[in-house]
Amino acid sequence: MMRAFVRTSAVLAIFALGLSALWGCGEDENKTSSQRSQARGSGVSFSIVSGSENEALEPIIRDFAQKEGVALDIKYMGSIDMTLALSEQGNKIPYDAVWPANSIWITLGDQQNVVKHVESIMRSPVILGVRKSIAERLGWIDSKDIAISDILAATRAGKLRFAMTSATQSNSGASAYLGFLHALAGAPDVLLMEHLDDPEVQEKVRALLSMVNRSSGSSGWLEEMVTENYDRFQAMFNYEALIIEANRKLTANGQEPLYAVYPIDGVMIADSPLGYVDKGDPKKAEFFQKLQAHLLSKDVQNRILRQGRRTGLVGMNPDIADKNVFNPDWGIDVARIISPVPTPAEPVIRKALDLYQVALRKPSCTAYVVDVSGSMNGQGIEDLKAAMTTLLDPVQARRFMLQPSPKDIHMIIPFNSAPLNGVRAVGNSEEVMHQLLAYVLQLNPGGGTNIYSAAARAVETMGEIENIEDYFPAVILMTDGKSSGDISELKEKLARLPLGSDIPIYSITFGDADESQLKEISAITVGRVFSGKNLVQAFRKAKGYN
Amino acid sequence: MKKFIGPLILLLVAAGFGLFKWLGGESVVQPPAQEPKKQVTVSAFVGGEKMEFLNNPEVRRILRERYGVVLDAAKAGSIEMVTTLPTSGKDALWPSNQIAAEFFRNGGGQILADENIFNSPIVLYSYDIVTDALIDRGIVEKRGPSYYIVDLPKLIQMIEAGESWSDIGLNQLYGKINIQSTDPTRSNSGNIFAGLLANMFNNGTVVTSDTLESVLPKVVHYFRMRGYMERSSSDIFKNFITTGVGAKPIILGYENQLVEFALENEDFIDYLREKIRILYPIPTIWSSHPVIALTSKGKRLIEGLKDDEIQRIAWEQHGFRSGLIGVQNDPGVLKVAGIPKEITAVIPMPDAAVMERIFEALQE
Repeated sequence: MMRAFVRTSAVLAIFALGLSALWGCGEDENKTSSQRSQARGSGVSFSIVSGSENEALEPIIRDFAQKEGVALDIKYMGSIDMTLALSEQGNKIPYDAVWPANSIWITLGDQQNVVKHVESIMRSPVILGVRKSIAERLGWIDSKDIAISDILAATRAGKLRFAMTSATQSNSGASAYLGFLHALAGAPDVLLMEHLDDPEVQEKVRALLSMVNRSSGSSGWLEEMVTENYDRFQAMFNYEALIIEANRKLTANGQEPLYAVYPIDGVMIADSPLGYVDKGDPKKAEFFQKLQAHLLSKDVQNRILRQGRRTGLVGMNPDIADKNVFNPDWGIDVARIISPVPTPAEPVIRKALDLYQVALRKPSCTAYVVDVSGSMNGQGIEDLKAAMTTLLDPVQARRFMLQPSPKDIHMIIPFNSAPLNGVRAVGNSEEVMHQLLAYVLQLNPGGGTNIYSAAARAVETMGEIENIEDYFPAVILMTDGKSSGDISELKEKLARLPLGSDIPIYSITFGDADESQLKEISAITVGRVFSGKNLVQAFRKAKGYN
Repeated sequence: MKKFIGPLILLLVAAGFGLFKWLGGESVVQPPAQEPKKQVTVSAFVGGEKMEFLNNPEVRRILRERYGVVLDAAKAGSIEMVTTLPTSGKDALWPSNQIAAEFFRNGGGQILADENIFNSPIVLYSYDIVTDALIDRGIVEKRGPSYYIVDLPKLIQMIEAGESWSDIGLNQLYGKINIQSTDPTRSNSGNIFAGLLANMFNNGTVVTSDTLESVLPKVVHYFRMRGYMERSSSDIFKNFITTGVGAKPIILGYENQLVEFALENEDFIDYLREKIRILYPIPTIWSSHPVIALTSKGKRLIEGLKDDEIQRIAWEQHGFRSGLIGVQNDPGVLKVAGIPKEITAVIPMPDAAVMERIFEALQE
């Protein structure tokens, strides 16, 4: 008997290691909430790592911490990054509580059993929000039985494109993707390895994913991007809660709402589990228990409900839901019984994510536009090389679920006062990746800084690629100084492209970079600026959006 | 004359014991062992499903005042506590599985005493609409206030045949008919369910080493088709309530879970009575709760837990039926509906060697 069970723990240990290898170390500095709640002298500090979808609830937690005199830190991180942090660091993770979007990420990561007192705070299904006029055209208004295959058919007929987050970086993307797999495998009892190996299933899922017109590393940012640039988007997969948030903004601006479609065979429910990581401090434990009880109290549950999350103890049917929030005109349907896709076994989930990254997602076309001006000399160039190694070394890239696919296009365009020659390669073979890495490692800093001409060169080169619409194009622009030149050259090149500003420029600030210059570039390309205080993490993060 | 003294003393002791029993659980009564007890801390691994009960202040008070027992309980899985967890320094183990003691002995563990304290049958939890559909199909029958699964093999056959909820008239539910349980390799309730399924596949008789090989592939296949399974009975029960009939039409659980939940959430009693159904398989399997004493302090815990008042609290507030012979439990005192006075149709778990083989096969 003993032997059998000893073997179990060996298997568990191996599984934990496998997971670490898959997702690597979870040090991340995505987005730390800058203000700290002022402690009134209790001396207790408490940190929570949470999915970005909970950002709207931050004031509730902050108010409570302030009342309790606890100095609070909230950091936002993708659910999958949290899994990786737990599996790698156990109770050494630098947080006192974890709040991912779905319990499966705690289960996958918490091999050392360090997360305690887990309670679901609220629920939200991952659904498709479609511009109402398009939903009308597709005959989807009040239709109760839209299947994933109907969505696939609409995209194939050229009637629909949608945005979603990356399945390997964010829970909402993973949920939507697992829903696609389940439905397009013919809605079996549960998704199994053999379904993942089935070429027919792969082909259908690949076809659906090819209709994604924008990816993102975070659900919260996806919602912001869609609402702020609504003329560019038709639909997005996201939490029902964030579809509601988007609609409140859109209707306030007099724009048409997104119409909620609950695919009958492809919905997963996020259950937002809040759990405690015990490090032996009774004061923290006490605060956690109070905070959790507060969040689950009737008043606060009602407050959270008013923000579009499904709360309350029983069922998924919030009878008391405010019709202005859970608005039937937006397709939000609280009376509907939601039958989510059965969650596959852990090895199937891991393999499915791997398959997404290397075979099924739309391929990326990434231009790394990197500053090699004189000021990068010393630590700067070393950090840049380390960051690029994380993405180009196949083993390291895989740890972060950022490994390239055979179809990915990579460009590296170093610049100083002008773009330098650069390199371009296709694929994920060891040879290709080594050549790219070797190129990066021989870079030498010198000269001035002009981000505009280099970014323009990247955009122009991408425009020359055949069938660029079959790729997720992105420019990852890193700079450490104030740029000479001006934005007009870039604007001109963007305007000349057939797909115009559909190439996002994700910028990374380093050293003395002028954030306002980068923000301007982000604004015209619907990109995002990442802090490069830690370059490795910043590159990883930016690549996660592509 | 001399040879009568022994039995006489026994009689006197028995009479004395009876007197205490007769006086009942009043706090004026001294603990059974005559002299006031010095307080000892008893360190134990306990299955998670009993933590609420052990955190009950009344239970702690009685253990402390009458038996001098201050319990230091660490939550642990029923299987791991008798196998992989280090038990040095522990006075007792309190799993929720009758074959746990056998597992422990087989692994070379030394046991001072073991005694069953509670029983709780394995049940299915479901919703009104699902139960009604199962009644129409002749799978469930209502007898008095309680619902019984009279044809579990038929339900399992439907699951294996890949029938959908709409096939039994439940068009509101999408997907295949399914009973969700916890992971049988990590959680006790799932493990017991694996035993029950094995017996069922063996035409309703207890599986032995001789008959196991013919049913084992079916058990393995059943669990393989379930995908991800929760690791704790309390998690699956909470998810059953919060995510609703669409996500969890039928789950496996312990009888006492609904009793405890109802007491903690009195606002929802009406909802529970109206929507939630507790279904008793015929036959079911007991989840037994034997205390395995490793030291004399552990034996004292056994004595304490047999206290009449503790046994009463366990039933009325936590839904554990007494594991002691001759103790009756009256469902009239409970807030939830549908709990029968007695569980009559019970089949034993397969023995430890068979369960070990099932466990190994499920891990592969």
